[in-house]
Amino acid sequence: MKWDWSAVSDFLPHFWDGLLVTLQALALGSVISFALGLVWALLMRLPTRWVRWPVGVVTEFVRNTPLLVQLFFLFYVLPEWGLTFSALTTGVFAIGLHYSTYTMQVYRAGIEAVPVGQWEAATALNLPWRRTWTAVILPQAIRRVVPALGNYVISMLKDTPMLMAITVLEMLGQARLYSQQHFQFTEPLTVIGVAFILVSYLASLLLRALERRLVR
Amino acid sequence: MAAPLALGKGRRIPGPSRRSLLAGVAALGALGAAGCSRVATASTENGGDLLDRLRAAGVVRLGIAGEIPFGYIDKNGDLTGEAPELARVIFKRLGVDKVQPVPTEFGSLIPGLNSQQFDVVAAGMYVNPDRCEQVIFADPDYQMLDSFIVRKGNPKGLHSYQDIVAKKAKFATGTGYAEIEYAVDAGYKQSDILIVPDQVAGLNAVEAGRVDVFAGTALTTREVVKKSSKAEATPPFAPLVKGKPHVDGGAFAFRPTETKLRDAFNAELHKLKKSGELFRILQPFGFTKAEMTDLTAKELCGG
Repeated sequence: MKWDWSAVSDFLPHFWDGLLVTLQALALGSVISFALGLVWALLMRLPTRWVRWPVGVVTEFVRNTPLLVQLFFLFYVLPEWGLTFSALTTGVFAIGLHYSTYTMQVYRAGIEAVPVGQWEAATALNLPWRRTWTAVILPQAIRRVVPALGNYVISMLKDTPMLMAITVLEMLGQARLYSQQHFQFTEPLTVIGVAFILVSYLASLLLRALERRLVR
Repeated sequence: MAAPLALGKGRRIPGPSRRSLLAGVAALGALGAAGCSRVATASTENGGDLLDRLRAAGVVRLGIAGEIPFGYIDKNGDLTGEAPELARVIFKRLGVDKVQPVPTEFGSLIPGLNSQQFDVVAAGMYVNPDRCEQVIFADPDYQMLDSFIVRKGNPKGLHSYQDIVAKKAKFATGTGYAEIEYAVDAGYKQSDILIVPDQVAGLNAVEAGRVDVFAGTALTTREVVKKSSKAEATPPFAPLVKGKPHVDGGAFAFRPTETKLRDAFNAELHKLKKSGELFRILQPFGFTKAEMTDLTAKELCGG
């Protein structure tokens, strides 16, 4: 097997560009999925089925269709209706939306795991509902689910290469572009493979530290 | 008897220790290195024996990129296009009766050829020096100018790669297209180019307003905008390469070791050119007399 270090150094500038885009997609995608997931989870607890039912249908639909299909749909079909976003915006939104349907279940589990006594105590203290949620239920619920949310961050990282399909030049896109121009595949693909291991390992260390602080 | 799960509150589930993790990684690495012996690229002496093997098998696998009119699968699911039709005729004369398409992306044609996914690239691929380092080409079966897909009425007035740079238009082209180089030569920043998978995605990018212009061959752009109400193709022009207008020629590509097959193919191709049959084969796909050529692969490879 030939290994050409000069190809690695030629590829590196492209690699940094790609890494930046991957991390952007990951960070923004995580933020969207965490926020939107919480919104879904709270909406699903409303007493009226006129909200629960549509939210349930929409999230089930998103969760049960492939991310890649959603990406293609948002990128190629939405513009026909006059909604055009840049490739990266589309990608970040799609990843965020897709994973929000998973994180919503995580939040649900976290909320349901708060002991009934806490609810009863809040009622006994005559706390308004707003304060019940923000000061009693959510802090306990979210602490419990940090590890599970962390898993989805890693999972999202591993799904960012799909953005390549809608012309986003993240790490895999850069590697492929470089390979096709220089006909060298081994080096760029190895470099990004190693980068994925490093990024996900670092992310998991970070999340473990966070877990240790929050989960007691 | 079920063993009790010993997961007390707050106890961490023991993962693999750091040492065993490292040992595992090292073992995987060794395995990878051992499994990497290269696939032999056929017999390299005497210009290869691919033609004999194809004759014995009776079928040749053609790499195509799904581009109308060069090589594509039509509405009925049949392989057609200028290159496959030409391949059918020539390979029949060489004693190989059947052709089998292997559709892939344009940018994967050369890597796919060299990794034995198919035997010949039949996608009307332009001959250029970069590609000549990777594969060998038959002589071109057509010559071609470039053209742009722009929004109806060409609002930015784009007629050449220089116009794109001067008017700061947003530029897109396909993966592995020769047009990337033309734009970069004209001074367009490579990292600003939007690379789309094919010409249909390019048309979509222009229609959706993501870019102002998509560059492709005159023939593909002409064909693909036929179905569009929002975009049009500019008149064909010759891109400037090192200050001189450059005419491209498209040809069949073969693995570098298979010179025997390439030479046999060339001989038949030249006969078809002489008898005028080549034009008759290419004409249904929109080719005109102006696109027939005497260019050779050697000239286009620049050496």
